Amino acid sequence: MSADIMLEIKELNKYFGPTHANKDISFTIKKGEIKGLIGENGSGKSTLISQIAGLYASDSGTMLLNGEPYSPSSPVDANNHAISIVMQELGVIGSLPAGVNVFLGRTKQFTKNGIVNLKSLNKAAAEQFKKWDLPYVPLNKLTDGMMIETRKIIELARALSVEPQLLLLDEITQSLSMNNRNKLYELINKLKSMGRSVIVISHDVEELIHITDSITVLRDGEVVGDVISNDTSADDIKRMMVGREISGDYYRDDMKPEYGDDVVVSVRNLTVPGEIEDVSFDVHESEILGFCGLSDSGIHTVGKAVYGLLKPSGGQVYLNSKELVIKKASKALRNNMAYVPKDRDNEALMIHASIHDNFNLPSLTELQGSIGYLSPGKLKKLALEMTNKLSVKCTDIYQTMDALSGGNKQKVNLGRWLAKDIKLLILDCPTRGVDVGVKAYIYSLIKEAKKNGTATILISDELTEVLGMSDRLIVMKDGRVNDVIHRDEDFTEQSVIKVMI
Amino acid sequence: MQTLKSKQNPPQEKNQNQAIFALILIAVIIIAAIVFNIITGGEFLDSTNIVIVLSHIVWPTFVAWGFCFLFACGYTDLSIGAIIVLGSFATTIFGNWLGYPGVILGGIFVGTLLTFLNFNVFAFTKIPSWIAGISLAMIYEALAVFLKVNKTTEALIYVEMDKSLRLLGKLPWSVIVLAIGLVCAYIVYNRTSVGLNIRALGGNKEVSKALGINITKTLLMVGLISGLFIGLASVIQQSIAGRTLVKTGLTSINMMFHPLAIVLLAQVLQKRLNIIIAVPICSIIIYAIFNLLTLVRVPSGTLQEAFLGAFLIAFGIIGQRGSKGVVK
Amino acid sequence: MMKMKKIRISLQDVVPFAAFIIIFSFFAITSKGSVLSAFNLSILLDQSVMTIIVGCGALFVVAQGSIDLSVGVNLAFTSVVATWAANAAGDWLLIPVALIVGTLVGAFTGTVVSRFKVPSFMVTIAMLIGMRGIVNYIQSFISTQAIPESMMILSEPYVKYPAFLLIIIVLAYVFEFTKVGKYCKAIGENETTARFVGVPVTFMKIVAFAICGLTVGLGSLFSLSSNGGTSQQIGLFFEMKVAMAIFFGGVLVTGGTSAKLYKVLLGSFSITIIVNGLNHIGLSQTQYSQSIQGILLLLILGVTILASKKSRKSAQLPDEAEAIDEQAEEKTAHLK
Repeated sequence: MSADIMLEIKELNKYFGPTHANKDISFTIKKGEIKGLIGENGSGKSTLISQIAGLYASDSGTMLLNGEPYSPSSPVDANNHAISIVMQELGVIGSLPAGVNVFLGRTKQFTKNGIVNLKSLNKAAAEQFKKWDLPYVPLNKLTDGMMIETRKIIELARALSVEPQLLLLDEITQSLSMNNRNKLYELINKLKSMGRSVIVISHDVEELIHITDSITVLRDGEVVGDVISNDTSADDIKRMMVGREISGDYYRDDMKPEYGDDVVVSVRNLTVPGEIEDVSFDVHESEILGFCGLSDSGIHTVGKAVYGLLKPSGGQVYLNSKELVIKKASKALRNNMAYVPKDRDNEALMIHASIHDNFNLPSLTELQGSIGYLSPGKLKKLALEMTNKLSVKCTDIYQTMDALSGGNKQKVNLGRWLAKDIKLLILDCPTRGVDVGVKAYIYSLIKEAKKNGTATILISDELTEVLGMSDRLIVMKDGRVNDVIHRDEDFTEQSVIKVMI
Repeated sequence: MQTLKSKQNPPQEKNQNQAIFALILIAVIIIAAIVFNIITGGEFLDSTNIVIVLSHIVWPTFVAWGFCFLFACGYTDLSIGAIIVLGSFATTIFGNWLGYPGVILGGIFVGTLLTFLNFNVFAFTKIPSWIAGISLAMIYEALAVFLKVNKTTEALIYVEMDKSLRLLGKLPWSVIVLAIGLVCAYIVYNRTSVGLNIRALGGNKEVSKALGINITKTLLMVGLISGLFIGLASVIQQSIAGRTLVKTGLTSINMMFHPLAIVLLAQVLQKRLNIIIAVPICSIIIYAIFNLLTLVRVPSGTLQEAFLGAFLIAFGIIGQRGSKGVVK
Repeated sequence: MMKMKKIRISLQDVVPFAAFIIIFSFFAITSKGSVLSAFNLSILLDQSVMTIIVGCGALFVVAQGSIDLSVGVNLAFTSVVATWAANAAGDWLLIPVALIVGTLVGAFTGTVVSRFKVPSFMVTIAMLIGMRGIVNYIQSFISTQAIPESMMILSEPYVKYPAFLLIIIVLAYVFEFTKVGKYCKAIGENETTARFVGVPVTFMKIVAFAICGLTVGLGSLFSLSSNGGTSQQIGLFFEMKVAMAIFFGGVLVTGGTSAKLYKVLLGSFSITIIVNGLNHIGLSQTQYSQSIQGILLLLILGVTILASKKSRKSAQLPDEAEAIDEQAEEKTAHLK
């Protein structure tokens, strides 16, 4: 093996239950190489670098670090092998000062007679900041209340302080401002010049081509391309990422916005401090209104706020048919609105309760008989009908949700609302973490709801999804509505991305 | 987006302000004390009354420091009251037997041992700590009844410590112990790896784990550290009171209410003042208030307890202000 | 795929029955059968009445994953105030005052817990000391602790038992067959989910604590009529008896769908048999009964948690399918 290879990965596999998250991944990183890793959500990039960083064990396959077998048992073990990671969303500890956060878990080296010398710890932390030319962070202060960007920089300092030969960066540029991004690029170049390697994950194709030497493209847990950054174009990468042709019956096949004239819900000047500002829009009968934007654009907040889950500091959500202002989720529920949250296991489902209970929860009011009687027969009938209709794979309706696969969970999560007569359906990333088959099925359900006159708000991190499904697309940036694009206008990823960034 | 987020919580200049804030707090206490003194017609700042207040704050302060470590990692232990009763027993029994070494080591040993034991239960059974603590309190209370020294007089169950062994409850000594305790608690909480790890654990378990902090080991260390403080508290409590009544039917929990009020108040002040330093100041505030209530003839055992309950709820509410998580 | 009737017995549901049978047979044998005498069985039933009524009310709170440790002191407070009112202004006031005061105290607790987000065990423990102080204060100046003679009618068997049955049936109906019960369980299963679906969580928490308070009011009527009035000792340790009844019945501390009304009945009998049985075998002194109860409580909590984890673990393998890309993100989200 050549001496300038830092890490060689051979046929790495990772399963999460029945889901094959990584399929025979193989690639190599040379010393001083900057490698980009790109792929759609769910393509297995984060899983892959988590395996390298020791967060997950691999199910099969080998890794060779400098020619030696390498299978990290923990992130600390990975650190000892000079590999460190900045995770997408791990964070820092708010109740501790910034300096301590840099060396947390490794405070022993500053300990003398059992006492941690905070001065020398902070000095060492300051040295890291100076050495890597990181922006100033007050090291004595608690990280509670610091900006996300600052917290990210502290995490970066933490990763750099282990003097990594291989640094893993999982989507950190999106939380950095422009000048700090440039600093990060300089930092990456510096590491390169020191003969160290970096793996960068980013959704920003142009950025990736600009800063990396080579790019590995993942799709559905497989390596589908390994290219030299200078010889490639953003379009090539995107083609590889998507791979499959988007067939007509997967998304919608028409290119015309089609919806009724009746406005179902009007949102006016909705403001949630620190999240969204002055958001206004109407959603019509039979309309699918898409929302897209970068991570911090506030699209997910819009969904929550419209369903009355957040207390806005200004503005209102107006339900036209009943001339009502929706202020609370309980009111939204009573007035035939529905909300499918992004975080299925923690926000949407009672994961330890049965399929039966989960199906019934939103419909309890409708199922009530006289003196509030909920007949067990009626509840069972509804659960049975929906389970059969959506062909949820389970042993029976009393099985607990945690026994189901992601796709079947999502069928319950979405399907339980379809048992009701819904006027407005708010979907936040409805196809997150489900396989292609269920994905297509969910799109068909959305189309069916559209046919029945339901207004849908479709919020998604996946551009192709909102482009494929929406009648109109609202592009958000920094918590504001940046643009509204109709289906028959310039409805392409390129034009949308231009507005998003 | 960053600009939007940054508006929320401007970082404060904490360290520089901390000393000033403490001074202001002390000044307020002094002014309040003078006002109290006028209300009570000179009784409040009477030298004997000051001695009473000062000597009575010491053991609850130690318990409160113990709580600081417990709360820092997100646990609650309701058996502490029963542990103090047993610790006081040990203080007396070993003290009467071995003299001062027995006084100090007996109480500390039992307090530490039992608290450590509790944390083993918490760490390994996964039973929520508050209900596990109640079960343990029942067991420890029963244990105290088993061990009652004065077997002949069933009605008055207590053990009495030799008068010559009770120096730690007297003024210069108790305040000296308090000062030593303050320094130790401050160093452990702020300046040791284990202190930092404990706080990290309470801040975010997953991050702590990913950074290589051993969760179980850290939990057991919490048991040891807070156990030391609670053991010492029982030594001092016994030195002041000289005897301990056996509590049953979970009435030992009542012993924790003053320390609990102190910690809850200290948590309210935490944003401005290191909690370890805030604890003794809050002790003085709480005790001064109850001392005042006694002086103005508010009956204890009835309305004073009602005030205490109201304080606890009020501090709890203030402390939870703006919290968004799920609370059961 | 869907069988019509399938008897589903999970390990978790077996635990309370096993505990009940073990406890019952243990005392039946060690007391040489005296626990089983007809006379003693009727005493057992009598002693369980209060625990069952208040336990069924507290179940609404426990189902949400909260706890009410103030039921004992609420019982004392309610009894004292109702007795006072009845003696001062008219016999018949006993009943409405008891019910209203109990409910109001419960609603207050529920408000502090839900609106101000103070952990329920903390609030109710603070209530424990604060309200006991008030009770002692009232008792220090009211002249009589006895309830009016005419109200003793409540302890007559032909009033007491039908009333008891009716209360249990109503509570069972509300808990198992209405939205109120279902929402309580949903909150216990996952409060965020309940909120995101549109369950009025804050309101439901106040309702649960108020129902609990109402049953305390009912319980105080039973207690007053059978004891003839109040005393200094009233309600002491009762909160633990209720909590133990619920947990001995196999309800998880986290509540949710593990909360079932029959479990409270079972658990109440278990705890009553323990107390009664210890009497029969000569271990009634505090040190024995309290240590045994403490150890049993720890044991049953541990076993219930273990049983629920085990039955879930077998089902959990495919669950991790979730993961895919956003695993790390979800991991931190669990904690927030």
